[in-house]
Amino acid sequence: MTSPLLIRDDEIFLRMNLAERIQHWLLISTFLLLIVTGLPLFFYDFKLFKWLLPSGRAFYIRGIVHRTAAVVMIANLVWHLFYTILTKRGRNNLREMLPKAKDVRDAFELFWHNIGLTRFLYRRGIFTRFFRANPYWLFESSPRYGRYNFIEKFEYWALGWGSLVMIASGFFMWQVEISLRFFPLWVHDIFIIVHGYEAILAFLSVIVWHMYNVHLNPEVFPMSKVWLNGRITGKELRLLHPLEYEKIEAERRRALSEEAL
Amino acid sequence: MRAKTKCFWHIVPAAFALLLTTSPLSPQSNEDCLGCHEDKELKSEAGRSVFVDTVAFVSSSHGQAGISCVDCHADLGRVKEFPHSSPLKLVDCSGCHEASVREFKRSVHFASNQKPEGQPAVDCKDCHGTHEIKGAESFDSTIFPLNLPSTCEKCHLQKAKTEKGLEFIGQYNLSVHFRALEKSGLTMSANCSNCHGAHAIKRADDPEAPVARKNIIKTCGLCHVGIERNYLAGAHGKDYVKGIKDVPVCTDCHSEHNILAPQDLNSTVYATKVAEVCARCHDNVALSRQYGFLTSRLKTYNETFHGTAAKFGETRVANCASCHGFHDIRPASDPASSINPENLPRTCGQCHPGASRRFAEGQVHAMPGSDVVAKYRSSHVVKNIYIIVIGIIIAVMLIFILADFLRRILRKEIHD
Repeated sequence: MTSPLLIRDDEIFLRMNLAERIQHWLLISTFLLLIVTGLPLFFYDFKLFKWLLPSGRAFYIRGIVHRTAAVVMIANLVWHLFYTILTKRGRNNLREMLPKAKDVRDAFELFWHNIGLTRFLYRRGIFTRFFRANPYWLFESSPRYGRYNFIEKFEYWALGWGSLVMIASGFFMWQVEISLRFFPLWVHDIFIIVHGYEAILAFLSVIVWHMYNVHLNPEVFPMSKVWLNGRITGKELRLLHPLEYEKIEAERRRALSEEAL
Repeated sequence: MRAKTKCFWHIVPAAFALLLTTSPLSPQSNEDCLGCHEDKELKSEAGRSVFVDTVAFVSSSHGQAGISCVDCHADLGRVKEFPHSSPLKLVDCSGCHEASVREFKRSVHFASNQKPEGQPAVDCKDCHGTHEIKGAESFDSTIFPLNLPSTCEKCHLQKAKTEKGLEFIGQYNLSVHFRALEKSGLTMSANCSNCHGAHAIKRADDPEAPVARKNIIKTCGLCHVGIERNYLAGAHGKDYVKGIKDVPVCTDCHSEHNILAPQDLNSTVYATKVAEVCARCHDNVALSRQYGFLTSRLKTYNETFHGTAAKFGETRVANCASCHGFHDIRPASDPASSINPENLPRTCGQCHPGASRRFAEGQVHAMPGSDVVAKYRSSHVVKNIYIIVIGIIIAVMLIFILADFLRRILRKEIHD
């Protein structure tokens, strides 16, 4: 019996629905606004920022824009939180997003697979017996991911943690009087340092990690269009998220056999 | 009795004059002189105009006092042939204005840059004018307070270059002092002679000059009495009294000729610029060692929101003076200081309503290495941890990405 083709390569799957995409667009725009209006405080000696904010008035407006963007970003996060808890799709996404031991293993395997050092040694005839007995260490294939791979999970939870830190420290910087009612000045100084350096960390991470892994890598260069239309094809699903692909395939097969019964 | 003597002294010269005009030996009357010198076209042998404006002379201080031509041009008193030869001798004012001339002879105008025949570079007439001469209280006098700057600038904007250059003197015309004269007609505003003196004018580096470092506080204090008192009560003033030369005096912060109101964008003590003025000394390592104060004040200020915002031109944030005060700046150890821990809630409370003692539990200018309470520097520790963590995370990411990138390129080549 030939198994019917359950997932065609040109079938369209919705990886990000409209709500998720709007959340992402809001996140992008508020994040960029916060960076642009925040960095001048960190790099106050840069000519570029002096040009961008030529007067005390412009600097004042910068502050208003920064805090407005922060409020919108927080609102967006709250929406995402409710969306995740209250919708079936959201809960499913969250379940897929939970970190597992496999993610650590995946990171380890992907790295050594990419480096290819052990395969190089094997071909040169070094440690041949060890590698014959333990072919795992050759890292012949890259790890197989589910709906979210370790790269995406790392980003998601880093963003969550970063948001908490930024919101807390930012709130106290905004409300200096409240901050200094509860904390001494030296603790308030820590809020300021944390807010600035956490922002730098977030900014660099997004530029380096997110931009490369999602958009700039040779396979999708110049960018993945998922954030715009939310769609991926059956082929992309099979190649990039094989475990999710197999899960969908299994579900369909079960449905078919139930139908046959 | 007194009236009688006075009357007598009026009659005697009049009688003399009457006598002398009729005699062939009598000196020339004003009418004799003006007979020729009224002519606007009249020129000397050298071609210079020797016209005398009768109206101006009659209304001048000398004209009003009945002083005759030959009283000043004494060398003409003995001349009998007319037209007389020229040039005449330089008028000597010391006969009447003895004290002024004595002072003038000690001035830089008399001493410096003398002409070959022992004449001063500048003499009385250069500032006071000639026949039309009037007292300082007269509106059209060259030395009337509102006119004095242009009188001095006649030379000092062009030919008479001082050490600081020509622009330096012209800067006065931008100052708040000049504006008060020019725009508002406030004669009590400082003009040249209020600060530099008049007849006895001296170079600024002459210890006797009113603008010498040693005297400048007193000189500015002539008008700014309250500020002089505050300054002398503060840390700078106390050191100034001890004769410490490095201590800032008025002009070090406010500049010299181009003194502007603190609200003026170009003022050296404008809200967003004053920090740089203070930092000239307070970020100077040599001075800090010599007098035992902390440096990096500007650097640590710039790192705060106050300093950063000020750098971008925001005037509503705290600058040095907002917390430390200005003329009567006192050290934190002084109970009257605005930055004494006891007073910080009130000082910070000017902008942060309800500021509590918490504001004092930390240090605004805390920097690594300075001997403050260790926990006050915790933000620096956090900062260093962040720098290390960011470095590691980004480095790991880059290594990971580089490996991935190379693998994907290789794989693509194999597939192609």
